[in-house]
Amino acid sequence: MNNQNHEDGTMDNGKNIIEIRGLKKSYDDGTIKALNGLNLEVKEGEFVSIMGPSGSGKSTLLNMIGALDIADEGTIEVAGIDLMKTSQLNEFRSKEIGFVFQMHNLIPNLTILENVEIPMYETDLSSKQMKDRAMELLKAVGLEDRADQIPTKLSGGQRQRVAIARALVNRPSIILADEPTGSLDSQTGDVILKLLRDLHEKENVTLVMITHEPYVGNMAERIVNVLDGKIQN
Amino acid sequence: MGIAIGIMVIVALGMVTGGLKQSTTSTLKAGAAEINVMQTGSGNFGSGRINETRVADIQSISGVKETAGLLKATNTSTSGSSVSTGSTGTSTGTGTTSAGSGGSGSFGGFSVTGMDPGKLSLAGIENVTGSLYSSTSENEVIIGKTASTDLNKSVGDTINLFGKDFTITGVYETGSFMTDGGVFMSLTTLQNLTSNNNTVSTIAVKINEDANTTEVSKSIETAYPNELSTTTAEAMAGRMNSALSTIDAASWAISLLAIIIGGVGVINTMIMSVFERTREIGVLKAVGWKERRILGMILGESVVLTIIAAVVGTIIAVVGVVTLLAFSFGGTIQPSFAPEIFLEAFVVAFAVGIIGGLYPAYRASRLSPTEALRYE
Repeated sequence: MNNQNHEDGTMDNGKNIIEIRGLKKSYDDGTIKALNGLNLEVKEGEFVSIMGPSGSGKSTLLNMIGALDIADEGTIEVAGIDLMKTSQLNEFRSKEIGFVFQMHNLIPNLTILENVEIPMYETDLSSKQMKDRAMELLKAVGLEDRADQIPTKLSGGQRQRVAIARALVNRPSIILADEPTGSLDSQTGDVILKLLRDLHEKENVTLVMITHEPYVGNMAERIVNVLDGKIQN
Repeated sequence: MGIAIGIMVIVALGMVTGGLKQSTTSTLKAGAAEINVMQTGSGNFGSGRINETRVADIQSISGVKETAGLLKATNTSTSGSSVSTGSTGTSTGTGTTSAGSGGSGSFGGFSVTGMDPGKLSLAGIENVTGSLYSSTSENEVIIGKTASTDLNKSVGDTINLFGKDFTITGVYETGSFMTDGGVFMSLTTLQNLTSNNNTVSTIAVKINEDANTTEVSKSIETAYPNELSTTTAEAMAGRMNSALSTIDAASWAISLLAIIIGGVGVINTMIMSVFERTREIGVLKAVGWKERRILGMILGESVVLTIIAAVVGTIIAVVGVVTLLAFSFGGTIQPSFAPEIFLEAFVVAFAVGIIGGLYPAYRASRLSPTEALRYE
């Protein structure tokens, strides 16, 4: 990637998959301004780290990109869809976004395979197609032999690998990872980061990752610093 | 648990009242007498005294096809045998009886009926396994299916009634728990045994096909005012059905209460489940599940929960009712296994599952994904 980085978070070259202009979001009747006129552009296939102190607005930004929350003001277009106007947010999340959370958030009473299949329930795939696709992803994260086990039988790193498989299963345009190594030891964290980076390159999927760790952030192609609800680069 | 209890009540009471209804219907079977004639003021069946000549007298009344005199007696289990024949309450007979020991037939005693064997169809007895007693026989009886089972007696066995041994020549089954719990013998023999010569307790009257039951009944009462009263089988069945309807209503009231409690239990269980799985629901929303799918999932779980409760309640009810009726009533009341009883119970369970799960499912489907994912 040879994109020119501007201070306001916008870029010069390539096609934008995320375009945010003047995004504002406040909580508690406006007393907490989580996003305060934030601008950001992310190119298709880019790996971006979002860094910043606690309460700076990183997670709110990620939630806005993933359509888990709605902004108060501004414009946000992701994968060509205006999130301030569309009413099909579920469909957007299902098709375009894959989430990887800090806590893997697997469903404990379902098997590993079923956990990976969950996002496909909203698609038209047959149960065999769903199973084949889930197994393909489990193989990619090296857990195909654990498909019939429940999450409690896996280590933290293995659970996060399952979460990554789940995030990729619908072939999304963007992976949004919220501190994916935050609950792991450094060695396991490295394995997860390498896996994420490899899959990002192999699947040509855009990767937006929140992290506190400069070491983790430096693995990205671009670092975006957020402070007081704005981009600081 | 609440739903299981509710369903248990519905099934158990349904089986009992259904069994009683079947028995009532059986007493109305074709061939049985439409009118029973008793002594005026005698109250219950079998407690009055009518001169036997009235059997032939009534036969001559217009619309009457056939009549038969019946003498009813009770062979008690502990204090010997007795027959109640009229207001004087004559009690006769002595010997201890093996027949009454099971408490079969009428509760607290064993029903013995004297009747001409050629007229047994008027008592609802159509088919007899074995053979009938003869009208002059002094030591032969036929026994009802229920009594036969309870006393473990079959054709060829001997039964002691009023201190005298009788040979069982046949076993009959009418479907009426009262009739099937006793024995029938020759009218003359029972009259002699109980010192009630030329006397009967009731007269069974079968009318012509084109005759009207009510009109014939009135004709009999008009012909013998202050002496004879009549009861039609239809009116009797109506009274029994009315009583059963009351039981039905009571059972529904109890069931409704249990269902309301169970329904609140389902709502509570599902709300707790939604609370506990808030984060899980957040994940499902994050991966793109539509509100409709989440609503369906919670509703489905609610229905599965109530159906499991219904299965448990039904099993407890079936085992409980079968055991209770077998031991408490000597098998005289057969529980009903009509499919509609179970269908009704499962429809109720399904409805409670849907209604009880609706609010928790709605709450879950409306959860904000970010708040759900933050939930600890």
